[in-house]
Amino acid sequence: MKSILVSKILFSGRVISQLLIGILVLGIGIVFETNDAKAKLYIDITSPSMRRISIAVPDFKYLGHKNEHPELSSKLAGIISNDFDLSGYFRPLDKGSFIEGPGAGITRDSINFKDWSVIGAELLLKAGYECIGQQLKVEARLFEVFSGNQVYGKRILGLVEQSRYLMHRLANDILFALTRHPGPFLTKIAFVGTSTGQKEIYLADYDGHNLKQMTSHHTITLSPRCSPSGDRMIYTSFRDSGTVLFMHDMIKGWTKKISDRKGLNIAAAWRPNGKELALTLTISGNPDIYLIDITGKIVKRLTKNWGIDVSPTFSPDGEKMAFVSNRSGSPQIYILDLRNERVERLTFEGSYNTSPAWSKLDRIAFAGSSDGRFDIYTISPDGRDLRRITQDQGNNEDPCWSPDGRYLAFCSNRTDGNYHIFISNANGENQRQITFFAGDQLSPSWAQQVK
Amino acid sequence: MKRNLVVATLVVFAFSSIFLLSSCAKKQVITEEEMKAPAPEVAKVEEKAAVPAAKEKEMEQAKIERLKELEEAKKREAAIDEEKAWMERRAAKFEAESIYFDFDKSFIKVENRPVLQEKAAFLKDYPDMRVRIEGNCDERGTNEYNLALGDRRGSSSKNFLSSLGIAADRIETISYGEERPRALGHNEASWSQNRRDDFVLIR
Repeated sequence: MKSILVSKILFSGRVISQLLIGILVLGIGIVFETNDAKAKLYIDITSPSMRRISIAVPDFKYLGHKNEHPELSSKLAGIISNDFDLSGYFRPLDKGSFIEGPGAGITRDSINFKDWSVIGAELLLKAGYECIGQQLKVEARLFEVFSGNQVYGKRILGLVEQSRYLMHRLANDILFALTRHPGPFLTKIAFVGTSTGQKEIYLADYDGHNLKQMTSHHTITLSPRCSPSGDRMIYTSFRDSGTVLFMHDMIKGWTKKISDRKGLNIAAAWRPNGKELALTLTISGNPDIYLIDITGKIVKRLTKNWGIDVSPTFSPDGEKMAFVSNRSGSPQIYILDLRNERVERLTFEGSYNTSPAWSKLDRIAFAGSSDGRFDIYTISPDGRDLRRITQDQGNNEDPCWSPDGRYLAFCSNRTDGNYHIFISNANGENQRQITFFAGDQLSPSWAQQVK
Repeated sequence: MKRNLVVATLVVFAFSSIFLLSSCAKKQVITEEEMKAPAPEVAKVEEKAAVPAAKEKEMEQAKIERLKELEEAKKREAAIDEEKAWMERRAAKFEAESIYFDFDKSFIKVENRPVLQEKAAFLKDYPDMRVRIEGNCDERGTNEYNLALGDRRGSSSKNFLSSLGIAADRIETISYGEERPRALGHNEASWSQNRRDDFVLIR
């Protein structure tokens, strides 16, 4: 919001253009308001059942004289329209249903809102763009179709090669204007991919684009977990025979071994303070969970039980830890209170409940099986309000939450038999496949946007 | 006085006889040495005369003995080869025979005990050998849980072998969880093949 206010003060005159040139040199996009109309709180995202708002996003109009990068017209519209769709708050209308003629512009006066109301649009995003060499300028205006009021307007500047990033930024800004909550559009998702024939860690934008291979261990690499601040990642690798926990700093680029004790060093989880990790070690001869600091030093042994204890996940305050144990005979989810070391069983339904993930909004997602197939469920940490997220659509496993707790990611083999990453609203609505790569994509971890 | 003279005469006589005797003895020694000196030459001449016949015999004997030795060495080698081949056959069987587990279980099933007993016998016969036990699981459940389950399966076999007298430091375990399936199907026929401990010899 700060930058928006600053932009408003400086808007008009050479000062801002100099500022923008400076920013362009640095290759950073900027968003600033072009209209004084403040968006009211259009969407209450805390309401239990939400109706998706229909929105029309026609191709962006070229505003300059020479039509450079004509491909951006539909590409930019596609990126932000997909963001609206994945957000779960909007229902983007099919482009094929649009009836507006080519003469219409992007300002209120040049739009016939009847063209949009008849096809059922409640909101209309009109945008234009201009390119000067590699520089890209986008002007976007959001209208309420019913009243014809502009509820949001911004100009955004950056480089053509940053167009995905710029559109995600614009989408975030629009969502913030409508909901007063930041959107997930600049977050990333790490996962395990098998396309090379081995298991390596990959990182992609939250929408599955902009894929990067993070490891080349040429072996089995598992369980990526992004740090609460989004700048680091831990994972388990068989690179040096046996399981070793590695930490990778995505900003500074270094990779370190954190735990290579004899036996297992697996399934680590970040404590929300970002300073400690929980993981399963077998140094006692049995798989138990230990708390270690980020240099790998053992702080405390957290479980001491004859059975298997794995897959820890911390409550938002870091004082409780959910984990999987077979102490009752089959894998079930338990919660340990770190303050008094009391352990309580959380899941009772189903014979196999695993992969707990504790959200920032205090819900626990897990994968459960009762009929041989795995599905995603969520439950309140007090054991109430069990909700089924997936059903009758292949196997669904490895749930994780978006950093803000409003979305779920998981892997499912529902489409082609291979596992791909899907995201959905926290309540399971709006499930969307975001990875379409060869092989399997497994074990997602949703990373905060690095600030 | 007379008596004194007699004694003196006797003493003189005695001394002179001692002197005579001793000089006589010396001479004898010299004579013996003188006589000994030419003796070796005589012996050499005799030996030279005896060489041809004796050496031929000896060489013949050595040849026979050498041949015998070679034959025995061959036999020994053959025996070693056979022993080695036998060991290799046993080692191959040792590594080929996995043991299998029930779903989500890590206890050694009764029918797998003889397999482990045979492995223990092998390890007792070859005390220089060590074994790596690799615990595996079927694909169901998370790979994290399955890594832990595979670890338990490896430990079960390790404990069983230890209980049969195999030193713990000759046994190492590694869990591959569900990452190294032997059968790739998504059904019980494949899963039952994948819930296993593999045994790899470290030589």
